[in-house]
Amino acid sequence: MSAVDIAPAYRDNAKLRRGLSRRKLLDRVFVVVGMSVMLICLAVLAVLFVDLVRDGSARFSWNFFMNFASRKAEIAGILAAWVGTSLIMLVTATCAVPVGVAAAIYLEEYAPKNWFTAIIEINVTNLAGVPSIVYGLLALGLFVYQFNLGQSIAAAGLTLALLILPIVIVATREAIRSVPKSIREAAYGLGATRWEVTKDHVLPYSTGGVLTGMILGLSRAIGETAPIITIGALSFIAFLPESPVTSEFPFVSFKWLSDPFTAMPIQMFNWVSRPDQAFQANAAAAGAILLCMTLMMNGVAIWIRFRFRKKINW
Amino acid sequence: MQTSEASDKVSARRSQETSLQNDNKAAAASGTPRISIAVDDTRQVRALNVKAAVDNLSFYYGQHRALKNLTIPIADKQVTALIGPSGCGKSTFLRCFNRMHDLQPDTRYEGSITLHPDNLNLVGPGVDPIEVRMRIGMVFQKPNPFPKSIFENVAYGLRLRGVRNRATLAEEVEKALRGAALWDEVKDRLPDSALALSGGQMQRLCIARALATTPEILLFDEPTSALDPIATAKIEELISTLRDQVTVLIVTHNMQQAARVSDYTAFMYLGELIEFDEAAKIFTNPSKKATEDYITGRYG
Amino acid sequence: MLTDPIEGHTAKAFDTALAELRLHVLAMGGLAIDQVATAVRALLDGDATLAQLVQTRESQLNKFERDIDREAFRLIALHQPMAGDLRMAKAVTRITIELERVGDESKKIARFASRLATGEPQGPVRAVARYLRHMAELTASMLREAVRAFDEADPKLAHAVTNRDSELDAEFAAALRQLLTLAMEDQRFLGATIDTVFALKGLERIGDHAKNIAEQVVFVASGEDVRHRPKA
Repeated sequence: MSAVDIAPAYRDNAKLRRGLSRRKLLDRVFVVVGMSVMLICLAVLAVLFVDLVRDGSARFSWNFFMNFASRKAEIAGILAAWVGTSLIMLVTATCAVPVGVAAAIYLEEYAPKNWFTAIIEINVTNLAGVPSIVYGLLALGLFVYQFNLGQSIAAAGLTLALLILPIVIVATREAIRSVPKSIREAAYGLGATRWEVTKDHVLPYSTGGVLTGMILGLSRAIGETAPIITIGALSFIAFLPESPVTSEFPFVSFKWLSDPFTAMPIQMFNWVSRPDQAFQANAAAAGAILLCMTLMMNGVAIWIRFRFRKKINW
Repeated sequence: MQTSEASDKVSARRSQETSLQNDNKAAAASGTPRISIAVDDTRQVRALNVKAAVDNLSFYYGQHRALKNLTIPIADKQVTALIGPSGCGKSTFLRCFNRMHDLQPDTRYEGSITLHPDNLNLVGPGVDPIEVRMRIGMVFQKPNPFPKSIFENVAYGLRLRGVRNRATLAEEVEKALRGAALWDEVKDRLPDSALALSGGQMQRLCIARALATTPEILLFDEPTSALDPIATAKIEELISTLRDQVTVLIVTHNMQQAARVSDYTAFMYLGELIEFDEAAKIFTNPSKKATEDYITGRYG
Repeated sequence: MLTDPIEGHTAKAFDTALAELRLHVLAMGGLAIDQVATAVRALLDGDATLAQLVQTRESQLNKFERDIDREAFRLIALHQPMAGDLRMAKAVTRITIELERVGDESKKIARFASRLATGEPQGPVRAVARYLRHMAELTASMLREAVRAFDEADPKLAHAVTNRDSELDAEFAAALRQLLTLAMEDQRFLGATIDTVFALKGLERIGDHAKNIAEQVVFVASGEDVRHRPKA
């Protein structure tokens, strides 16, 4: 091999130095562009929030939380709405999480890698993109009429559970996948069965991811209007569903599942559509509260992820 | 000063050898299978009990034949090492012993690995892999303790076997940690997370975890390749002491480690067994040219 | 952790192997020293039984050499000793050679003793008996010191052995002069005189071997190769 007497362009140090400043410039440009986009989004969110708060400022009071809807804007409150939303979220969480986690476990740990499983997986991810009104129509036909659940909290909860099921499944699958193969091997090596590996190791270590997925799902569901309108949420309710906790045996009642209901988005929608300007303030106040609830739930999700990540570091 | 110390060590070794001879006489009387391997150039023959007899073992990944007709005796309470270049099949062979391949789809065994004294074929079609894994323990290349407490790590195997009594668990965990030369370092922090230990300690914890269930064979898959020299030396010494309690089968790509630690060494290449003999013989005067080439580093 | 080294190696089998090697070398050294003393005793006392004993035990020394050599070889192959341990293993290989040659020289002296006992003229031996006795004591002492220096890894002791070699050489020169004078005066015992010269030479060589062993001890202790240095 003869010695190279003329250095190729990429070995010329002076040229490298000149090229370097150009490359660094591009680097900085990208940072600037990214930051500005992010700031614009945050600014929009902030403006929206501030606007809502200002418009609804007249209504923020304890009464607003504890009053029922009324024809008079000043005393109309969101009591029925946030109780309804809470109860619906309870049903949604109770239904979506076990089913979603079980489905994710099956798909990750048990399902053989064949065409049938592939079809299931494709369908699951597609479900996340189905318009929510379609879920509402499905629920109307299936839950409300076919199963005879009526226009109740149960039906609403089940509908929203279907809606967030793909989110829970995907989040759980990601969490399960992040459990390294070496841990499973160690457990198998000690003589564990597949279920013991899942129960003792995979699930406990992926709890963080599962909870995050659940909260993200719920924070999406909390704002879904179309499906619950379709199945018949009322917008003017002057009563609360039966309390789940009773003062006599067995101290727990399920009657509230079959009660008619309303929810926060519905109440907001109803108030916004009224001609009376005074109700705009109510809608704005409700919107601000709903936004707060959503942000809080996301905050909790982030906190949970942080706590679990501290305990377990692969 | 040194002479008395030295003669203590020598007499300890001599008494070990006498007890080994007595074991052999007992084994000869009871009819358990033995292997005869020539020792040194003085051609003394030492007969030992066989713990696992591998007979014409072949292993298939789908259509690909990864192991070809392996026949090796694994001596009881001795350390057998598997050496060879990457891809020669030594890890594949090791994982046949505890049926780890069964976790992968489309794998097939031919031939047998007969575990003595039960005469159980470990890779037989009718044999439950879970049962095999309960009798044969494994320590992996990268230390993989569970993200639980140190106590729970060691106790997990026992819990799987239905041990619930707190006192029994504590006793067995202590025994296992002592066996892994880790007890003194962790006895005050059993409830602490296992992930807070150093790499060498984590690997010893994994050894304790495997020992807790009193396995009949302990498999080591390159146990020190991720560790620093001091941790490596401690684990090699640990493996030497484990020799008296359990049969050890170790895969290593570090030939010097195989020379230091093993009693018997098998050299594998492309899924076949090239040579199997006493470690002293293999590393000073191997019979096959291929072995000599690999050991001297002429392998290209 | 490196600030407080543990007692012995982490690998106990390595420790044991090193200890055994050392013990065997000491045993071989002890036997060699005894061979020298017994051979000279046989020569001076005209004792045929002792002479026979030396010749029979010679095979033991040879076996020692083979065994220890193999042991050192095995230690290097299987335990990869480094630094001081490696020097020790290498030195052991050389020391066994020296000790085996000491055995050979002793055997030759013993054979001469046998011939004396069966009738060879004893005149020349009587003439230099004092020198023989002195050289034997000196050389046995040098061997003993050299082996002890090995056991204790003491380079100072080893240097002392090296220094005494010149004393031995002086004794040999004096004995040789004595024998030459005797030979020139009386030519009847020429054969026996030559044999006696060989016996004296043998003892002188044993002293050389002791010196070589001492040089190996210096190598183990400091890594310095002090062989073939010009005499200070």
